[in-house]
Amino acid sequence: MSEVRKPRDPVTGHIKALAKGFKYLIEPNRMTLDYPAETMKLPPNYRGFFTVDDVKCIGCSMCEMVCPPEAITMVPRIVGSGGKTLPAESAPQDQKAAKRTKRPVVNWGKCIFCYFCVDVCPVDAFRPTGVHDVAFYTDREYRPTYEEYLNPPEDPYKSSKKVVSKADKKRGVSYEPAP
Amino acid sequence: MMELIPLIIWLIQDLLYIVVFPGLVTILVLAIVIIWLERKIAAKVQMRFGPLWVSKRIGGALQSVADLLRFSFQEFIVPEKSDRWAFIVAPGLMFAFSMISLIFIPVGPYYSYLFPSYYTILFSVGMIIITPIFAILVGWSSDNKFSFIGALREAFLLISYEVPFLLSVASMIVLYRTFNYVDAVAYQFRGLPGLVLNPLAALTLLIVMIRTTGRFPFDITEADSELVMGLFTEYSALFFGIGMATPYVELYAFSLIFSLLFLGGWWPAPLYAHGPIMGLIIPGIVVVVKAFIVMALLVFLRAVYPRYRLDQAIRSGWSYVLLLSVLSVLLSFGEVMLLR
Repeated sequence: MSEVRKPRDPVTGHIKALAKGFKYLIEPNRMTLDYPAETMKLPPNYRGFFTVDDVKCIGCSMCEMVCPPEAITMVPRIVGSGGKTLPAESAPQDQKAAKRTKRPVVNWGKCIFCYFCVDVCPVDAFRPTGVHDVAFYTDREYRPTYEEYLNPPEDPYKSSKKVVSKADKKRGVSYEPAP
Repeated sequence: MMELIPLIIWLIQDLLYIVVFPGLVTILVLAIVIIWLERKIAAKVQMRFGPLWVSKRIGGALQSVADLLRFSFQEFIVPEKSDRWAFIVAPGLMFAFSMISLIFIPVGPYYSYLFPSYYTILFSVGMIIITPIFAILVGWSSDNKFSFIGALREAFLLISYEVPFLLSVASMIVLYRTFNYVDAVAYQFRGLPGLVLNPLAALTLLIVMIRTTGRFPFDITEADSELVMGLFTEYSALFFGIGMATPYVELYAFSLIFSLLFLGGWWPAPLYAHGPIMGLIIPGIVVVVKAFIVMALLVFLRAVYPRYRLDQAIRSGWSYVLLLSVLSVLLSFGEVMLLR
């Protein structure tokens, strides 16, 4: 209860702090990446942008049901030749025989990259692309059409140096070129 | 007609003085360099890269220029409920008074021929002291709670640190027995620099410099984790740039005062010299280099210190710093008695 606090020494602490800062200034101990020029080489199963195989997908809507942020919408399509689908509007009006189906489209602004859709898919139609960090300039680009969704965004850091992180006793973490 | 020629030469020299040393061009270049240096030093100590995207080859040195250009082309928004005139005029006045103080600070012996005045120390100190009043005006006119809290903090700190500042300058006036920078520098040429003669006053002035220019342990008025941008929360475009640059101009003025009062002024250069080159350019470079070293030392503090709380800062202002400044005045009196 009656814990007596020592009077604070107004000088020593300041000198110690300044000396430590000066030490770090002279021998920099950098831990961060020079980001756009160097990027981390990510493990193969790291969740990123994914696309769907147009032929494999059976349009069962399981992914839409399981999606926690409701980022997936099913768009109406009709089955064309060779299993590929065509836009629903392209079906001739009188042709009742056109086989109707659905395909998923992801809203990248809502998607949380949980990969529940990939796990739940009964035919393994979703395919990760290995692209992880893309920024969009407009709101429109976050909501691709189905044709745009089939060609997911390209990796903007293809030419950057890939590095992997390594535990380092002295610095905490260090980076070395990816094998 | 022939009588006009010396007048024109005189005017050109005046302009040279105001524009180059210690005036506008030097301030602009130094502000850009020191902002870059501050960010780079803080990044180095905190294990980061710092600004690097603009002009990567020279370590991102042009980042501040890019920021300045960005500020210049932004839209300036005046909030609807702000006090319109005060909102527009106050940052300009704040900037102007910190610049005006530079006119009274000589950077060479030639200065005393250009602006003969005996009371330069008083004038420069008086002009610098005026600037926080406009800072309070900025906070009041914005009609924003963050600006208002920032202005209140500025007022509290202004009151508690102005007394030590004036006392530390007064102690040097007592010691040098002059109100004039050139005579103060001459005194240091004859003996030791003021830093050795009265280290207490030097320490006090350093602490007050950190406080007035909002360097890190006293970054209380624009504490960006509590008050978005402090006083300048509502400002945009070039006015925000002015608000960001004003502390650096003040820092420059304070560093010039520090190097003139405590670091021997233009010491390696000759004390009295005629002509603009030996009398203005070379001493000017010496003084500005000294001031730059002081500035670099103070921006280094950003990397080390956390922020004081307002009550801690006020308490240390009225206890340690006031005590130091009173002791420095006593020390000066003692030295004057002994040396006489």
